[in-house]
Amino acid sequence: MKKIKILTIITGAILTAQLSHGESKLTGLDVIKKVYYRPVGKDMKSTLTMKLIGSSGSVRVRKIRQFSRDFGRVEKKIMFFISPADVKNTSFMNWSYDRPSKSDDQWIYLPAIKKVKRISSDSKSDYFMGSDFTYDDLGDRHPNMDTHKIIREETFEGENCYVVESRPKDKDYMYSKTISWVIKGKWIGLQKKFYDEDGNYLKVLKVKSYKKIKGYRIVVHSEMKNVQKNHTTEMILQNVRINSGVSSRKFTERMMRRGL
Amino acid sequence: MIKTAATFTSLLLIFATGYINAEPVAINGYARNYSGILFHSNNYGIVQNTFDLTFTQKTESAGLKANPYVRKNEIDETSQLDIREVYLDMFFDFMDIRAGKQQIIWGKADGVFITDVVSPRDLSEFILPDFTEIRMGITALKIDLYIGEQTIEVAAVPIFTPVKMPDTDSIWYPKFNFLPEIPGNPSFDYSKKDVEKKLKNGEIFAKYSILSSIADIEIMGGYMWDDEPSLHVEKNIDPITHQLLSVTVSPQHHRLTLAGGSFSATIDPFVIRGEAAYYQGKYFNSTDASLEDGLVKKNYLHYLAGADFTLWDIKISGQFIQKIIFGYNDYIVNPEYSGMATILLKRDFINETLHLEFFAYYDFDQDDALVRPTVSYDLTDGFEIILGANIFIGDRGIFGQYSDNSMIYSKVKYSF
Repeated sequence: MKKIKILTIITGAILTAQLSHGESKLTGLDVIKKVYYRPVGKDMKSTLTMKLIGSSGSVRVRKIRQFSRDFGRVEKKIMFFISPADVKNTSFMNWSYDRPSKSDDQWIYLPAIKKVKRISSDSKSDYFMGSDFTYDDLGDRHPNMDTHKIIREETFEGENCYVVESRPKDKDYMYSKTISWVIKGKWIGLQKKFYDEDGNYLKVLKVKSYKKIKGYRIVVHSEMKNVQKNHTTEMILQNVRINSGVSSRKFTERMMRRGL
Repeated sequence: MIKTAATFTSLLLIFATGYINAEPVAINGYARNYSGILFHSNNYGIVQNTFDLTFTQKTESAGLKANPYVRKNEIDETSQLDIREVYLDMFFDFMDIRAGKQQIIWGKADGVFITDVVSPRDLSEFILPDFTEIRMGITALKIDLYIGEQTIEVAAVPIFTPVKMPDTDSIWYPKFNFLPEIPGNPSFDYSKKDVEKKLKNGEIFAKYSILSSIADIEIMGGYMWDDEPSLHVEKNIDPITHQLLSVTVSPQHHRLTLAGGSFSATIDPFVIRGEAAYYQGKYFNSTDASLEDGLVKKNYLHYLAGADFTLWDIKISGQFIQKIIFGYNDYIVNPEYSGMATILLKRDFINETLHLEFFAYYDFDQDDALVRPTVSYDLTDGFEIILGANIFIGDRGIFGQYSDNSMIYSKVKYSF
């Protein structure tokens, strides 16, 4: 599976030693792949709080309970919307495949119409629930879809970082380029700047904090600011449980309808 | 069957309550004002206030839901206090049981009812209410069996609930164009309208479904009553002059058997959908003078093909629907082939706080249509303002008959 792979079974100490040995030869693609494939456990459950902060300072809050599990060739994720009230009990399920040619399967359950609807996963550029994150921004964009170049190495917020510039192979993509600050050895993108199709600075993603949970580094607080709209989205992950044994039955139509 | 079902429901109530009484009850709901003005007369078409509550309580093994609502119609000064759903759930490893008043919704179609026939519709405001309000709850015992991604669902409905028609003085009361021309209006005899609440008059539905990476498929069948009453037309003819003196219309429900299915699959960038049902034993109105009651029994096919995709951030959904009557003759009032299409365009703006939507039905046979543009804005979380219009185009047909009822409306809704 794309994010977990065989690396999951390797201990953190061995992993760090291997990475340190090969770091001098790293390319931009290597760095981004290490971020993409950074182990996050076989399964995870957590509560996600999104704060959408408008230019006037108005705040809208979305709360989601989410579960994910790696099944080898497919990674399954299910999200249950807790608030606001008008979307409560809506659920969303995504099956993501390791075959690059196979698109994700996605379903949404809308309690108002009491139906599970299959939806197209084609729009990776769509914004997630009115936030400043697109589905690609949330980690679904495969490294092979861009060309990557290390443009410098620098200390950023006290961490030694690679600064990697990524340009899309598809010239019609919504970003003309992104620049990422990746912490050496930890493979967490500490900051990422996005430039729109015209090359103008569009938004910036900052990791506010990350935690080591059961040996895995998990980003628990991040912030995306759209500088053109002056709109910000904070994402806060709470109640994170890794490898707690999320049942395969969680990722079914039955659970989408039943809810939490 | 009714007594058995009632006893079983009571047992489930007692049993399930024992499981769940330690959990807190979640209370959600909404308050809504809905006001509309008719284009034709500049009069109010609707002024309605609704308060809708949902109580839920759930554990790993059981749950309950109750959804009472109160609605006040200010135009005719009527109030409605009712329960849309009240049911109990029991969850087992590979099975769920739901007993009580519930909405059961099947199929893949949007805004069209092909295999989605278990819960009848409330047509007192035609098909204009929100989809959750247009379907009526029915008392049923529903059992779901799960085998991996497959589900077998059986719903036993001991008491038949017909479609709710508009009152005869309502602006939504349909026009009956098939009645013979006589002086004055036809009289109605409602004495045979109700289906007796007996064991033998229950309905049974079953569905097999699978959700997979290739496609989502449903196969269903049902032994039911026709939700819409057949209109038996009795003609009173002068035996000497052979002139038509009067017409009495007697609505009656008849048994229907149906089998059908639906599917949806992704073929990037499209999600394609299909749904079909074969109905056996439907009574159609006929102008054949030799028929005693103006009805003829036929079978028909109702199917749909549709696709959803996104273009320039606009979510687009189109559907083509057709009905085909088998063993057709020219006396039948309905056409042998009747076609309809729907189109939905939707786009969100300002971080999904402003929504523009355009939904339309078009009836190929009568060249009539219903066009429903809306703009909605989320003032704050849960507080929504909607401005919209229902525009009926044509002068006859299912939509054209309401050409005087085109309206512009507003809805203000607060969800909590």
